[in-house]
Amino acid sequence: MKTLKRLKKMLTGDKEPEKSEAENSVGQSEPEVKTEEAAEGKQETAEKTHKTTESVTQQSKEPETEVQPAAETEKQEIIEEKSELKPETSKTETEKVETEELEEVAEKQNESKSDEPKTERSGNMTLLEGREKDTITRDDIDVNFKNDIMAAGAESVALCFQCGTCSGACPSGRRTPYKIRQLVRRAVMGLKEDVISDDTIWMCTTCYECQERCPRGIKIVDVVKAVRNEAAKAGYMAPSHKATGSFVLKTGHGVPINPATRELRKKIGLSELPPTTHEFPEALEEVQKITKITAFDKLIGYNWETGELE
Amino acid sequence: MAFAYFLGCIMNNRYPGIEKATRILMEKLGIELDDMEGASCCPAPGVFGSFDKTTWAAIAARNLTIAEDMGADVLTECNGCFGSLRDSNALLKEDEEFKGKINNILGEVGREFKGEVNVRHLAEVLYKDVGLDKLSEIVTKPLNLKVAVHYGCHFLKPSAEIDIDSPFKPTILDELVEVTGAKSVPYKEKMMCCGAGGGLRSRDLDVTLDYTKEKLENMTEAGVDAIVDICPFCHLQFDVGQKEVNEKYGTNFQLPVFHLAQLYGLAMGLDKDDLTMDAQQISADPVIKKLDVITGGE
Repeated sequence: MKTLKRLKKMLTGDKEPEKSEAENSVGQSEPEVKTEEAAEGKQETAEKTHKTTESVTQQSKEPETEVQPAAETEKQEIIEEKSELKPETSKTETEKVETEELEEVAEKQNESKSDEPKTERSGNMTLLEGREKDTITRDDIDVNFKNDIMAAGAESVALCFQCGTCSGACPSGRRTPYKIRQLVRRAVMGLKEDVISDDTIWMCTTCYECQERCPRGIKIVDVVKAVRNEAAKAGYMAPSHKATGSFVLKTGHGVPINPATRELRKKIGLSELPPTTHEFPEALEEVQKITKITAFDKLIGYNWETGELE
Repeated sequence: MAFAYFLGCIMNNRYPGIEKATRILMEKLGIELDDMEGASCCPAPGVFGSFDKTTWAAIAARNLTIAEDMGADVLTECNGCFGSLRDSNALLKEDEEFKGKINNILGEVGREFKGEVNVRHLAEVLYKDVGLDKLSEIVTKPLNLKVAVHYGCHFLKPSAEIDIDSPFKPTILDELVEVTGAKSVPYKEKMMCCGAGGGLRSRDLDVTLDYTKEKLENMTEAGVDAIVDICPFCHLQFDVGQKEVNEKYGTNFQLPVFHLAQLYGLAMGLDKDDLTMDAQQISADPVIKKLDVITGGE
């Protein structure tokens, strides 16, 4: 039974998101064999007739529909709700992806419930107990999130079919827990809070390696930036980033001049101050006014009187 | 040929030798560089673009209006500035609604984005507008060096929008470097990012240095004398970051870092003081000595 659960998890990509990718790619053939062996073993002892992976999944779904018809209705509801929201983007491709994705959300909900009869039989909640937080429910989904990202210039995000090429190309993915494929997935699913509160979204260097290789031509870096904009709005901005922002408010430069460089400039015959906002205070005022209009000063919590961050 | 010369931040405020070398180089090539008076930070694409798109585009557009007033295309020699200014310029030219929004903001400071200029990178101008033949004429002191060329990310990518060279196997910078007599040596993961961009350097220095360490290992393994870049932020990452890597990992990388303009400076026989090489963290003296031995000194 343990193997079946593992297989099911693998197929739906549910739980342990970090591992699922590696399992899918590396261990694809290996677990398959194991599952068959397990199923065969079972066949002998319990004299049941599952042979293939498919029949296994089917079987596990059977009781669920009987016991939990509510889950089915819930699934319908979500699909309706979401498709209402997106009549403008009537590309068939987009819609297809959307339906698939909704099914997956619903499936995940179903799946968590489908375990109930089993646990009743065995008498203890081994799978879900203590892991309620890992279960995705409708409460976790912000149906507008994907649309916000698309409106921010990353319309193409809806085309993602989760091939993982992006993660394979990502240099940050090689050295940090950052997984761009998952980020896109979770963003498209509308798991807003989950995504914007995730520290790893800031591990992207915007190097474009993912985007260059994306077979769907998705502007992945724009997705990352849109997600980060939402994170910044919600208050997830690092103090060091706010500080960089404050330099521009104070001087017009993200990296302002320092005494050593002033000297150096003079020494080699350049103007001591570059002919930028450093030399022209009225130009700096323009930049400052722009940041006030866009409320960037408030976004980073800049206090104009003290010149400090709050 | 005349350009509106966009300085940005790191070049003029940390590595003025790059600016000095560029001004001399362009004068020799007969290209006029006019200062964009009152320009600000571009602002950085991965940083400000990550915080607030509207602020990012408005500040970038303000910079572009300065060039529009001058009636000249923008020239930058920083990949980050190139990315921000080129991106915002393209975006505002094609999205009327967004342009309206940004112009409402710019109107408050008496400016309007019209979409009249293009944004160019120094390396592209040197290769496409000047040409290798003409460039070879300014080389008075051929550089017998082996160098690791670092393209950086925002010069060629996203390639769907920037049509300068292949994002996977480009040659433009290698060719520009080899005009000086230096040899561009292939190395592992050549196209990998330096690690500084996207706000990562200020957010998580450890991850940034992990990138840089890998690049430095691969470059050192290829037996190069120096690194050549076309972006002051990559430049800072390889220079300051190299020192930080050495401190953090106990390594002893000693690869001097030249911006393409500084490399041309050397090839034109400029004094190393004019290139402000001594102000950099990693000494370029061994490389400069090696050149002096070969050319007999002066």
